[in-house]
Amino acid sequence: MQALYIPASNETPEIHFDYASHQLAIRGESYPENAMSFYAPVRASLQSYLEAGHGGAPIRVEIALRYFNSASTKLIRALVAMLNATAVAGRKVILDWHHDAEDDMMIEFGQDLSEEHNAIEFHAVAQAEACAA
Amino acid sequence: MQLDVFNTFRCTAADNGILFYYTGEFSQNVVAAIGDTLRQRLETVGAPQTARRKVFSTFVEMAQNILHYAHPGDAEGAPKEGALAVGRDGERFFVVCGNPIQLEHVPRLQEKLEPLRRMTVDEIKAAYREQLRNEDHEADGVSKGAGLGFLTVARDAASPIDYHIAFNPENEHGSQGRADFYLRALI
Repeated sequence: MQALYIPASNETPEIHFDYASHQLAIRGESYPENAMSFYAPVRASLQSYLEAGHGGAPIRVEIALRYFNSASTKLIRALVAMLNATAVAGRKVILDWHHDAEDDMMIEFGQDLSEEHNAIEFHAVAQAEACAA
Repeated sequence: MQLDVFNTFRCTAADNGILFYYTGEFSQNVVAAIGDTLRQRLETVGAPQTARRKVFSTFVEMAQNILHYAHPGDAEGAPKEGALAVGRDGERFFVVCGNPIQLEHVPRLQEKLEPLRRMTVDEIKAAYREQLRNEDHEADGVSKGAGLGFLTVARDAASPIDYHIAFNPENEHGSQGRADFYLRALI
């Protein structure tokens, strides 16, 4: 299956879903005018990948978002929920949740996500403040 | 505008701690451009990292509210207009915005904002979590987001958010089913 790559823009994150190596990454900032229309194709692509199964190869996910707006919040959670459903069905999913070391909201959001989607192996990864530009 | 009047305008803004003020058309490009400017401005004045993050988040929520919900005016496809200011009040920062809204949206806004003003921080966080998991929200015909905008602003604010709805029968909006909506968050 062909990789999904969307370069970052000022208000949308880089999406790099490298399906061949089962590594999925979302990096940057997310506050598009219409979050639904930005995430709909991302969701559809991930859905096809997860349905294909790929012999149950472990999936490694990196979410490194410095900022996302309220409209993006639910859509990011929806992506994690899809991955969790796959993990519940028995496929290993590891999620690295990158956050600025002092960003309490981002830390809490990650914790809430991991508690709610506990079939995923969750790692919070603290970044130095310098990355928060 | 006479220069002495502009001087008064400028001094009034400075006396009230205004760091940034914008009035006019809102588009996603404007939001992105203001966002960049605002981040630089906050860095220049030495705002702490946490405050910068919260001010930026509050700014985006308010600006996108204007973009999505401001009264569109009379002309077909007219740009959304509003005003937004960021400033400093002692150790705190504030973000305020104002825009015309449709009169029929007033009760809906009051129903959303009044309870938020009475909630504790923990109650706001609980309401945020609940709304995040609310799958029925997509049936809401007015909302263009996740229904989390005001909760996000309230969560980042240091005190209850303030709002004001001005009914100005004398002004140009008065008789055309509009009111002016103002929102303030202290960070």
